[in-house]
Amino acid sequence: MTILCVRFQLPPTREAALPELLGLLEEFTPVVEALPPDRALADLRGAERYFKRDAVELASVIRVRALALHGVDCAIGAGPGPMLARMALKDARPGVTRSVPEDAAADFLAGRPVAALPGVGAATARVLCEYGLDTLGRVAAAPLSTLQRLVGAKPARELHEKANGVDRGRVVPNGVSRSLATERPFTRDELDPDRHRRALLSAAEELGSRLRALDKVCRTLTLTVRYADRTATTRSRTLGEPTAHSAALTRAAYGMYETLGLQRARVRSIALRAEGLDPAEQASHQLTFDPTDEKLRRIEEAADRARARFGPLAVLPGALAA
Amino acid sequence: MPGFTHLHTVSGFSLRYGASHPERLAERAVERGMDALALTDRDTLAGTVRFAKACAKAGVRPLFGAGLAVEEAESVRQERRRAPVRGGAFVDESAPRVTFLARDGARGWADLCRLVTAAHADKGERGTPLVPRAENRGDGLTVLLGPASEVGRALAAGRPDRAARLLVPWRETYGDALRLEAVWHGREGTGPGSLRLAARTVGFAAEQRIRPVLSNAVRYADPGLGPVADVLDSARRLVPVGAVKELDSGEAWLKDEGAMLAAAERIVEAAGFRRDTAHRLLEQTQATAAECLVDPEDDLGIGTVHFPEPHLVGAGRRSAQRALASRAAAGMVLKGYAGRRAYWERMHEELDIIAHHGFASYFLTVAQVVDDVRDMGIRVAARGSGAGSLVNHLLGIAHADPVEHGLLMERFLSTRRLVLPDIDIDVESARRLEVYRAIIGRFGTERVATVSMPETYRVRHAIRDVGAALSMDPADIDRIAKSFPHIRARDARAALEELPELKALAEEKQRYGRLWELVEALDALPRGIAMHPCGVLLSDASLLRRTPVVPTSGEGLPMSQFDKEDVEDLGLLKLDVLGVRMQSAMAHAVAEVERATGERVDLDAVPPGDPATYRLIQSTETLGCFQIESPGQRDLVGRLQPATFHDLVVDISLFRPGPVAADMVRPFIEARHGRAPVRYPHPDLERPLEETYGVVVFHEQIIDIVDIMTGCGRGEADRVRRGLSDPESQGRIRFWFAQHAAANGYSAETIQRTWEIIEAFGSYGFCKAHAVAFAVPTYQSAWLKAHHPAAFYAGLLTHDPGMYPKRLLLADARRRGVPILPLDVNESGVAHRIELVSDKTSVWGLRLALSDVHGISEAEAERIAQGQPYASLLDFWERGRPSRPVAGRLAQVGALDSFGANRRDLQLHLTELHRGARAGRGGQLPLSGGRKTAPAGLPDLSSVERLSAELGVLSMDVSRNLMDDHREFLEELGVVGARRLREARHGETVLVAGAKAATQTPPIRSGKRVIFTTLDDGTGLVDLAFFDDSHDACAHTVFHSWLLLVRGVVQRRGPRSLSVVGAAAWNLAELVELRDGEGLDAVAARLAEPVPARPGGEDDDPTGGRRIQMPTGYELHPWADLRPAGQEASQVRKLWHQSPGSAG
Repeated sequence: MTILCVRFQLPPTREAALPELLGLLEEFTPVVEALPPDRALADLRGAERYFKRDAVELASVIRVRALALHGVDCAIGAGPGPMLARMALKDARPGVTRSVPEDAAADFLAGRPVAALPGVGAATARVLCEYGLDTLGRVAAAPLSTLQRLVGAKPARELHEKANGVDRGRVVPNGVSRSLATERPFTRDELDPDRHRRALLSAAEELGSRLRALDKVCRTLTLTVRYADRTATTRSRTLGEPTAHSAALTRAAYGMYETLGLQRARVRSIALRAEGLDPAEQASHQLTFDPTDEKLRRIEEAADRARARFGPLAVLPGALAA
Repeated sequence: MPGFTHLHTVSGFSLRYGASHPERLAERAVERGMDALALTDRDTLAGTVRFAKACAKAGVRPLFGAGLAVEEAESVRQERRRAPVRGGAFVDESAPRVTFLARDGARGWADLCRLVTAAHADKGERGTPLVPRAENRGDGLTVLLGPASEVGRALAAGRPDRAARLLVPWRETYGDALRLEAVWHGREGTGPGSLRLAARTVGFAAEQRIRPVLSNAVRYADPGLGPVADVLDSARRLVPVGAVKELDSGEAWLKDEGAMLAAAERIVEAAGFRRDTAHRLLEQTQATAAECLVDPEDDLGIGTVHFPEPHLVGAGRRSAQRALASRAAAGMVLKGYAGRRAYWERMHEELDIIAHHGFASYFLTVAQVVDDVRDMGIRVAARGSGAGSLVNHLLGIAHADPVEHGLLMERFLSTRRLVLPDIDIDVESARRLEVYRAIIGRFGTERVATVSMPETYRVRHAIRDVGAALSMDPADIDRIAKSFPHIRARDARAALEELPELKALAEEKQRYGRLWELVEALDALPRGIAMHPCGVLLSDASLLRRTPVVPTSGEGLPMSQFDKEDVEDLGLLKLDVLGVRMQSAMAHAVAEVERATGERVDLDAVPPGDPATYRLIQSTETLGCFQIESPGQRDLVGRLQPATFHDLVVDISLFRPGPVAADMVRPFIEARHGRAPVRYPHPDLERPLEETYGVVVFHEQIIDIVDIMTGCGRGEADRVRRGLSDPESQGRIRFWFAQHAAANGYSAETIQRTWEIIEAFGSYGFCKAHAVAFAVPTYQSAWLKAHHPAAFYAGLLTHDPGMYPKRLLLADARRRGVPILPLDVNESGVAHRIELVSDKTSVWGLRLALSDVHGISEAEAERIAQGQPYASLLDFWERGRPSRPVAGRLAQVGALDSFGANRRDLQLHLTELHRGARAGRGGQLPLSGGRKTAPAGLPDLSSVERLSAELGVLSMDVSRNLMDDHREFLEELGVVGARRLREARHGETVLVAGAKAATQTPPIRSGKRVIFTTLDDGTGLVDLAFFDDSHDACAHTVFHSWLLLVRGVVQRRGPRSLSVVGAAAWNLAELVELRDGEGLDAVAARLAEPVPARPGGEDDDPTGGRRIQMPTGYELHPWADLRPAGQEASQVRKLWHQSPGSAG
């Protein structure tokens, strides 16, 4: 009953306001975890004693302050752990804080579809539903060994515990987003490989400059190609060394694209995602005697500086400028 | 001016390439002042006959040719591309194309046929026709090397040296018959259609001393059809418009002489010659056209007949006529007619007629085929007017004795009839291909080919192809296409305006831009070619010289590129071998009875007049019986109450659009039940008319009436009968009839009354020979249903002959007390079987078949059945080796229940076995209690889930009727069940509900569109009719929902004849969901929603009174007689819109 999950009703144009709102939460507790784009978890264990109010009352205070100070409404779910708080949020409306006490957790969960549980993705939910385990109550009732046969040992243990209302998660302060993504949609069914590659180049350039702006490097690059029939193909590649270097990212993206061998596929969009972000200073970099790489990196640095000064379109690869 | 002939013109028969019909091309050629026109379709000659006929009508000389892909002399090595993970590879169109024209009469045509046949013979890996280098020759051909040929490509690439080298083999083969073809479509650059390539071609021709010709590579008749060509290109290449190659130039239309001269001038100037050289170019083109002399009559053989050689059909060294006569005489003795003079006389009469036409070989051929089929143990029966010939009966082709049933030879063949006679034979559908192979084996591939059938664009396919070409959202395309009934593409916009069920779609019509226009432009263009389901060509050994033959895609049977009508025009003998599913179903039923009980049933010898059989027919519970199972027939059978074989013959004849439209049914039924007196116009006519209580039903009766009254002979009388359908000749016949009848001493009043009957009859009636041929399997199937119901249903479910979904047959079986035994891998066979359920009462049950499992392959089902019995799940997995999805489905429907554990546990075990097999590990299963599979603790399927699985996997509700689940709700609503409905009063307003079994909009006498639908509610069937005043409110719901709730008024027309006229309809599945989710109030709110009404008044007809005049004289609603919109009831595999338990 001490964790709140808050969803701010941010209009799409004001998504950048999330850090300010997090600041509001931090007035109550230092343990605040942002769940971009619009949610945050707050652990109020200390705050309850300090403010001499319980979490639900504090939730009302938070809402009032958010409205008064920022003009943003919010919905709040409360629970003994982050998982239950997040589940509770799905039932909450602005003004109606949904709280799930620890002893009522199992009942609360029993009737919910498995996909509602944080951490259960579409694939796991499909497997579970196929075997009739479509609600959390049924998952809780199923033997652990059977679950393990279905989804694997460790995920099954976690799933089983969660379904039984055992919430071992913690609120991790300062949790930042661990991936960056960008998408290039096409206005019609696009078959032309040149245009596909241009989209890839532009997406990789964008990811690279965003990573460098954050001083991060990424370990893995994921390519998602979406087709006219709403299906998609995903390919993932772990880079030789973590990098934020646009040329390396582009190379990896091209490589993945080539393995698809697309010919007649009607592509509607191409998305790239950089995953496994680490601080740039921790990244290792293999030095070579080849000066080209070094030169490219220097050019990139210069280009970044130019972009910082004249806007993101100031420097572009030649293929994109046309 | 020298005139101009287009030597390179394609029609719509060039699949997904040409945009105009051959008829249109011929018309346009005449309008634009041309004397001749060539048709050179890509890879096909299928348009030839239509083109020849259209040209004869329009008055232009046709030239015949084909554009074919040819094997390259120097093949360019292409790197293998990686196989795409999605979307498929590009369609390979890289082979160079050359245009061949038949020049030298029959020889040219034969060469052309041979080339086309050779191109299709070995498609190999590429899958597209290609003329192999060895076959690329022909003395009777003229060859045009255009921009798409190797030579043209080399020129386009700026390599005249290479072009000269590539030209050498062509020049060696074709010598003086070689031409270089210049085409200018106003394109830039040096590619095909560019001025520079055209100029280079002309220059190269001068240099090489080969004659150049000018063509326009025509793809469509009129300017402005470029976008249609783009859509066709895109449908052929399977890519969106403009994605890969440049768009069509819009110039490839049938340009007139002036435009072509202007083009010639530009080309020769660009090639560096003087402007007046253009005339030389056109002269060369004209001279080339003038050389190509193929006469449609003499050289193609239109109008002459070719039968197989007599020695192949058992004539030995005798003439065919003598062989036929002796076989017929032998038949007389064999069938025991030897002592009857009338039979001898009739036989000789018929033989004379046959000799008159020289058709003896034909009869012997058919007899040979029938004998061969019978020797293979396949059920075979003749149908059609051929049953009227005693000779056919004597040869064993037709079962029924024509003399006994009063069938006339003249209806089939007479000295006055000039058309080819037509004998159709019915065989078991499941073994139809075996029959084809036997015929081919008997006569050889050089004499036999199947007939093709062009599949043309109708609205749904046109929408799909145009939508895909325009990059529309696939979900949108699918939704739009499915909303339409199966109408012609050209009616798309009219249907949107007029059909009530398309109203919602009409509102968003504007969103799709050019879609509708392009859809209508595709109308009736061939989009594919398939084997005709029944025609087989039989000819002498010259067949391959007269028709191009290609292998069919699935079976590899030889197939002529000509369709049914072409074949008749070409004078090729066609035998219709129809695969009749009912014959297969009956054969299966008989085989099952013999397998299970050892009792041999000979269907051809079942006792006639069996009371149990007629009781069954009279009860109208005739689902599954041949010809009498449709709602209309059940209604008619209920009113007519057949009691003899002859009644069945009449019943079948009456249930035709003609008699129904001419209202011959009511007087007949009144007279039959003694409610109206039987009247004859004259006592002389009593003999032909007494069998049908004075009502004219059969063609044979008209022939007899005319013959008796005028004394003209029956051959002439049949000709007169044919003339009746044409209003023009009707007047002449009337005069002729009155004159001759008066001469025979009939009074004016009699003549007047008789003529009224004949006139009313028009050409409506039905050939009695057909009806007799139909009634035999009708009686046989009803007999089986009455005496061996379980085996009968096993046959029906295995071969699915009827108009109803299988689940309805199963419901019928359940109602008739046949126990349904569930699918079980240890018990079920590949096909449906019968099993003894209880020894004492000897009740036979129906065991469901493995082959009905969705997605199971034939080999898989066979393997599983072979390996029975299985001791455990592991045993089944290892020996039955089912695919993972099939095994999962078997578990879902309970076929693996005998291995222990519940169905979900079994699924899990199967998944692990599958995973283990993939990982190369041996399957280790946790066992408990010996061979039983251990439970894993998963929840078992609920009863609704089981039902849903049954529908999904078997498309049948096996464990119970799906309507049973809604019984409570239906009682709340006060719905009347089918059984209780039988007691309902005429005019009572009732609510009925059920699962839709069939929907039709047949042609109706009133010229209105009536939607007939049949609902199954578990207790029986309810037949519904929706008249057009209710269409705005109901049509969409009725077409697009599966479970229906309908309010309507009961209509009674006889003790057993009952239907409900619908006034309002709701989607029951939606109501059930509301009831379960939000309670009765939500249902009430839904029912309270206003029904959409037509904006205008009551009589406002959206079609503006438009009607289609049928040749038989009655009117048809423009949207009637179509396969309606929505999913076929037999295709439904889902219990709900979405499955109830799905997450999220």
